Amino acid sequence: METDDGHERPGGDAGLEGLSLLSRVVVAAGAAVVAVAAAVHLTMVFLHVAPANTVSKQHAAEIDDYVLPEFEQNWKFFAPNPLQQNIAVQARAELRGPGGRPVVTPWTDLSAQDGAAILHHPLPSHTRQNELRRAWDFYSGTHDAREQPSGLRGRLSEQYIRRLVVARLGAERDGRPVDRVQVRSVTVPVAPPPWSEEKADTRPVHRVLPWWPVATADLPEAKNR
Amino acid sequence: MNASALQRGLARVTGSSLGPYQTAVVRIGLSFTWLCYLLREWPNRHELYGPDSPWSWDLARQLIADNHAFTPLMWSRGSLWFETVYALAIVSSALLLLGWRTRTMSVLYMLGVLALQNRSVFIGDGGDNVIHLMALYTVFTRCGQVWSLDARRAARRAGRDAAERGADRDVPGIVLWAACGLALVAAQALGGTGLSWTARGPLPGIGWATALWGLWLVHGLWWLARRHAPGEPRAVLDTLAHLAHNAALLVIMAEVCLIYATAGWYKVQGSRWQDGTALYYPMHLDYFSPWPGLSHLLAGSGVVVLLLSYGTVAVQVAFPFTLLNRRVKNVLLALMMAEHVGIAVLLGLPFFSLAMIVADAVFLPTSFLRRVGAAVRTLVLGARPAARPELPAGPGAVVPGIRREAPPETEKSAP
Repeated sequence: METDDGHERPGGDAGLEGLSLLSRVVVAAGAAVVAVAAAVHLTMVFLHVAPANTVSKQHAAEIDDYVLPEFEQNWKFFAPNPLQQNIAVQARAELRGPGGRPVVTPWTDLSAQDGAAILHHPLPSHTRQNELRRAWDFYSGTHDAREQPSGLRGRLSEQYIRRLVVARLGAERDGRPVDRVQVRSVTVPVAPPPWSEEKADTRPVHRVLPWWPVATADLPEAKNR
Repeated sequence: MNASALQRGLARVTGSSLGPYQTAVVRIGLSFTWLCYLLREWPNRHELYGPDSPWSWDLARQLIADNHAFTPLMWSRGSLWFETVYALAIVSSALLLLGWRTRTMSVLYMLGVLALQNRSVFIGDGGDNVIHLMALYTVFTRCGQVWSLDARRAARRAGRDAAERGADRDVPGIVLWAACGLALVAAQALGGTGLSWTARGPLPGIGWATALWGLWLVHGLWWLARRHAPGEPRAVLDTLAHLAHNAALLVIMAEVCLIYATAGWYKVQGSRWQDGTALYYPMHLDYFSPWPGLSHLLAGSGVVVLLLSYGTVAVQVAFPFTLLNRRVKNVLLALMMAEHVGIAVLLGLPFFSLAMIVADAVFLPTSFLRRVGAAVRTLVLGARPAARPELPAGPGAVVPGIRREAPPETEKSAP
């Protein structure tokens, strides 16, 4: 029911003075609540987006409790420095071969496939621009150098990457099921601009993850029901 | 501040819902962005938020059990439910765009945004973040005062006499309101995840059940007051609605300032922004160069890259302060919107850029917005004169930094 169109204000033009004492108390209380709510909200959001400081460190728990999850935000676009490397996520599969002998496929460059889909597309899809890129960010942000997951998010990110890779490679190839998958990232720094005197090592750096067995939970849901 | 200034300020924020054109443009722009995005991703919807998502329903459930984000998609893993929610998200954004039952649609639109985005949090980018926040804030604004079907209906009603108006019971509105109530009852009866009274909701201590039932009751209260108590109770509700609207508008404006200010402050700390090569790098990232020829051409000149990099930081850091001066503010708005058009094409981020341009538009001057509105009307409806007079520009419709038709003293005294 659209009751509030903000148009007619019967008796409203008289201003607050025309109202009874009770109404004025209600309006005053409403004004106080709204003012405090807006001030608290803006303070909390400010402390959340500002760099960690004296106040936000002291009240980190309260700020997180207020802001997360619905008001979470991050505006560090290309900051403090823009990303200066192309990170390609690649994967390969181990297939159950004839007679039980495993066969390993060559590496597939999943990021290059994304890049090809984005190239010359005026409206790139989130499935191509964000899915794998952010999944890898999530994984690398929740794993240490020895690929050990930190907490719940680390474990979730692992299964996410595995499911993503299985979905992209396919759960089987030539009728042979995929038993295990392996993921690696190849990081190539962007060469410094030609006018710069900087020297940068642009050789690719590989990060190779262990082989992961593919379980039923790693297969696309629509197919495994 | 002396007592009379305080009184004047209070009279202003209790007397009218400020920035009617600005809030309308935010409503139209963000629902348009979200609608276009949903339609563009229609073929990919199962992979993004549905049964084919690598971020499976079970993974989402485990994360949500930990972070308490709200999404009706957790109420059932069935694909029929998913298709229903996706379709409702499309329909509610289209209706919010048109301004049909704006107050109800703003709530349904917000639920659609939360449903999809919170289902797959790792698929979004900055643009999704802007839409998410603004969807929450828009619920509190009277964003249908102009450029909406609601405004058209209100104008027609105002033209009729009192007897006809009394007979106008607003049946579609009552049906919509009752359907929303029934849907909420059903969702709670079926044990919908996240629909608690006090556990983690939009804010600590306020559950989503409290928030949604609260909004539903407020809508009912408005209907009652308008039909049966048009005098003082209606005036009090009106005043409270003005207050909520004006606070939400302030929060929206402050949010835009925070986006630019923090984006700028973090950049100032970066060595690449300092040495003026920063923008060279995104132009060479495979994920952000749909037109590599164009990107490399632009990134080919060291001076151009330097000017663009420094310009970006300068504009972002400066923006909040330029609100003190109308002219400088408008120049910066134009610059930022132009930069976002560039980002849309060069970095392949059209939906992000559109969301940012719309958020910026909350600072556009009323005179400009009205001219654009009139031009659009002529374009769409032909040269027909406006079906109704525009909202009267009373003294209450003035917000500092938004609209200054009459030059106020601050402009002269500004340094």
